[in-house]
Amino acid sequence: MLRNAFCGGLLAASIIAGPVFAADAPAEIKLGTLYASAGRYASISMPVHYGLKLWIDQKNAEGGVFVKAFNKKIPLKLVAYDDQSNTATAATLYNQLITQDKVDVLIADSGSVLTSVAVPIARDHKMLLIDQTGTGANFFTPDNPYIALISDPVSSIWPKPLADFLTQDGPKLGIKRVAILYATNDFTGTQANAVRKFIKDANAGVDIVYDQGIPTETSNYTVLLNNIRASNPDAVIHLGYAPNDIAFLRNVQDSGIKFKFLFCIYPGLETELLEKNVGSKGLNYVFTYVPSSEISYEANFGMPLKDYADAWQKKYGNTQVEFGFNSVAGYTTGLVLEKALSVTESLDQLELRKAIFSLSGKLKTLDGTFELDQNGAQVGEITPLGQLIADGPNHVKFVTVWPHNVSTGKPVYPRP
Amino acid sequence: MFVYSLLAGLLFGLYFSLIGLGLNLVFGVMRIVNLAHGDFLMLGAFVAYWLFTLFSINPVPSVFISFAIFAVVGIPLYYLLVPRLLRGKDPEMLSFILFFGLSQVIEAVATISFGTSERSIPGGELGQAMASVESFFLGTAVDNGPVEIFGQTFPAAWIVSGFASGLAVLFVYLYLYRTRIGYLTRAVMVNREEALATGINVHRVSAIAFGVGLGLAALSGVFAPFMLGSITPAMGVDVTVTSFAVIVIGSLGRPLGTVLGGLIYGVSYMLMQSYYSSWANLLPYVLLVAILLVRPSGLLGRQVRRA
Amino acid sequence: MPRTVKHILCVLPVIAAFAVLPAVYENHLLLFNFMIFMMLAQGMNLIYGFTGYLPFGYVGFFGAGAYGFALTVVHLHAHPLLALLAGALAALALGVTLSPLFRLSGAYFSIANLGAALAVYQVVSNPNLESITKGPYGVSLNGVFDPTFAYTTTLAILAATFGVIVYVRNSHFGMALQAIREDSISAAMAGINVVRERIVAWLLSALIAGLAGGAFAWYVSVFYPETVFSGEFTIFAIVFSLFGGNGTVLGPILGVTVLYGIYNGVGISTPQYFQLIYGALIMLLVLFLPNGLASLLRQWGIDVP
Repeated sequence: MLRNAFCGGLLAASIIAGPVFAADAPAEIKLGTLYASAGRYASISMPVHYGLKLWIDQKNAEGGVFVKAFNKKIPLKLVAYDDQSNTATAATLYNQLITQDKVDVLIADSGSVLTSVAVPIARDHKMLLIDQTGTGANFFTPDNPYIALISDPVSSIWPKPLADFLTQDGPKLGIKRVAILYATNDFTGTQANAVRKFIKDANAGVDIVYDQGIPTETSNYTVLLNNIRASNPDAVIHLGYAPNDIAFLRNVQDSGIKFKFLFCIYPGLETELLEKNVGSKGLNYVFTYVPSSEISYEANFGMPLKDYADAWQKKYGNTQVEFGFNSVAGYTTGLVLEKALSVTESLDQLELRKAIFSLSGKLKTLDGTFELDQNGAQVGEITPLGQLIADGPNHVKFVTVWPHNVSTGKPVYPRP
Repeated sequence: MFVYSLLAGLLFGLYFSLIGLGLNLVFGVMRIVNLAHGDFLMLGAFVAYWLFTLFSINPVPSVFISFAIFAVVGIPLYYLLVPRLLRGKDPEMLSFILFFGLSQVIEAVATISFGTSERSIPGGELGQAMASVESFFLGTAVDNGPVEIFGQTFPAAWIVSGFASGLAVLFVYLYLYRTRIGYLTRAVMVNREEALATGINVHRVSAIAFGVGLGLAALSGVFAPFMLGSITPAMGVDVTVTSFAVIVIGSLGRPLGTVLGGLIYGVSYMLMQSYYSSWANLLPYVLLVAILLVRPSGLLGRQVRRA
Repeated sequence: MPRTVKHILCVLPVIAAFAVLPAVYENHLLLFNFMIFMMLAQGMNLIYGFTGYLPFGYVGFFGAGAYGFALTVVHLHAHPLLALLAGALAALALGVTLSPLFRLSGAYFSIANLGAALAVYQVVSNPNLESITKGPYGVSLNGVFDPTFAYTTTLAILAATFGVIVYVRNSHFGMALQAIREDSISAAMAGINVVRERIVAWLLSALIAGLAGGAFAWYVSVFYPETVFSGEFTIFAIVFSLFGGNGTVLGPILGVTVLYGIYNGVGISTPQYFQLIYGALIMLLVLFLPNGLASLLRQWGIDVP
């Protein structure tokens, strides 16, 4: 009887004492996200998704992610739906993740368009939106705390290295006239606005002699190239998506026009894709962003670039999904979440936000330095300006030329 | 700038005439709206891509190979789909939807098999073909790069595709006006019921025309990596809509009309790109609606009004 | 009028369902999308089922409604209900502008309508008009974000739409339309004003799509031009109304429930075969059941409302 009383007492004590400890520790942390397996945004979505999955599988193999709020490792569960690059479907699915699957962390699909629909939904349900690569500047407003941009710099500052090079090193090389050709969509249009503003504000004697917006569906540049040539520019900047860059560079090559300085975005962000479609001769001496997949940043957390690239090859080498900038972005999302969970006081959305913001300026990953402004926009992880040099018939190497403190070589100007 | 745009427009327009040729044939003969036209073009482009990547076959022979493959595929496909369709009420409208479904199926299969990344064939390939033709005829060795016309340079691919387009129009013309089967085809184009009444095997004639139409689509697809920069499984839809604009502007059912439509589209598109570049994509649709309202039979064609 | 009453009794459960479901099923956006497609399918039913014209650019009215709503809110800071009206008017205006297209026959009408819708899309998304329409950079309507109010209003609009269809199905007007569809010349000889009846049907269906577009803009509050001018809306409207059976009240409702339900179900379970399954479904539908489920039911002797 005494033993019964003793057991009963223990039971009572543990029932009372239970809530004091991590009685609410969930069996798993549910991460909800979307990906596009088909359609226009599939090529930027799948690498990001695979990068995130690599992180998840790695963590689960170690028993899960350490969550400070419960003082233990908890395994991760991924709930992911396919939005087929369709924004209306994406909106319904984001809603599904929040209201039906009741995920703990909401992670957006890749790119500004598929992220845009999530912004008001997350806000309405008071869920923090983990924005992976949606860089649209108007997502980040002072009245919306439920968003944080993790892996790409916000569009309005992304082109700063390019503009700085043109206005500071440019005049010394003889660059005075700049032509800007951009596709009119949120991503590239905002960058065009930024470039224009940076160049004008610099007041360095660099003038914009050609400035045209074209539809994103444009696939033929022959006439445009002729018009650009007529304006006699020293530098030509083309801001478009990957298919635009491919068509542009091929048209430049096929029409035999020589430009002294050419800049495109996607030779940097999707190098393999451009190598395959344009070839190293067409990419030779083209300037572009140097992505984190080409620079071995010193990381104080997570795998450095080389190890990650090896892990990617092992896991995804036989798929058609290419390794590059976007695959790094997905993995970076995972790292930021890992670090944030390891310091967060609870799984409450605003607490998570606090935890993520606390990493700003301190977290250094293979993607660069993580830094957020007060509205949640990423102002770190800037991609330097680099030049591509042909290295065999189908391969190019990067030479970083700006900023000077990370440069690995001198730019070749004019283009031979 | 104006002269360049004009010339570029003519050359580019010829390519679109080529694209529209197959669609025109199918609509003219069967009054079927082939919304999968752009997807067959895409398949033809991928055939050329894989032949080049796997077997290093130059695009020029691929043109004939693509045509042959899809002409042959077209005939059983016709028998599978069309007779059933024609039995129902309002086949013209239903054909829209049927072929839309087909276009989705083709796009889905292509996406699953090939992935979504952009693919291309180096421009030099067509340039080489051009160079070998030039050296054969002119006896001189020329660079396999851009070609000069009236002092303006254009990519070699444009010349080759323009040339191919001309040949294709000639082929269709000969087919329709100089062969027996073409003669029967024209009869069916004018009035299907009457043709049937006179004993013509309408289904057989239509099936062959359908095959030729698909073959032409695939053939024009071989030039797509050069004219449109890169190819992906999803490219079909935009191409289909533009080619509709082209054939409607010309006139449905007459190959020369398609050529005219293509040229008009090409020239106006290039001029728009030069002077009002952000409005360039609006043009084909405005032209389409305008033509249909002012002269619905197209610039060369016959009456199509209903009460 | 027992027939009309019977028809009304058929649609009441649907309205009731949409009114009650939000309390038990939390993915309200999904329910909302169902309602939008119900409206679009009925609008398509009205124009294709009752007049035989297939507007392949039907989404043009939807987008016009959405942008009418958005611009009124952004530039005039109007109350959402007023803005909805503006959206409806925008769609009506577009319908009036496009009515000359009726001079064209079948396929030409469809292609012209498609061209017109794409033209409107290109104009709206043009960066030169950025100050008015925000061009390709998308619209963000944070000030009027109120999903509950939007949902309820949409429910009311849906009820009204059903009302219109029930009316058309049971009235002189509906019969006149069907007569025109079968044989316009005989109908004209019987004294029906062919042109006027058609235009009325056209404008009604444009109005329905416009209201749906405005409601959509209100509910989602963030959208790009390509979202509200997507050809998918037209295709779905056509397929749903076709599947259920045109010219009936219940047909489109059935079509949306079954097909859109499958769409969402498949989308969540086997996404990679998604497009393939849907395309194949459409093809089988046209080949084997071109007059829709309603025709199947009729063959079995059931009278479909």
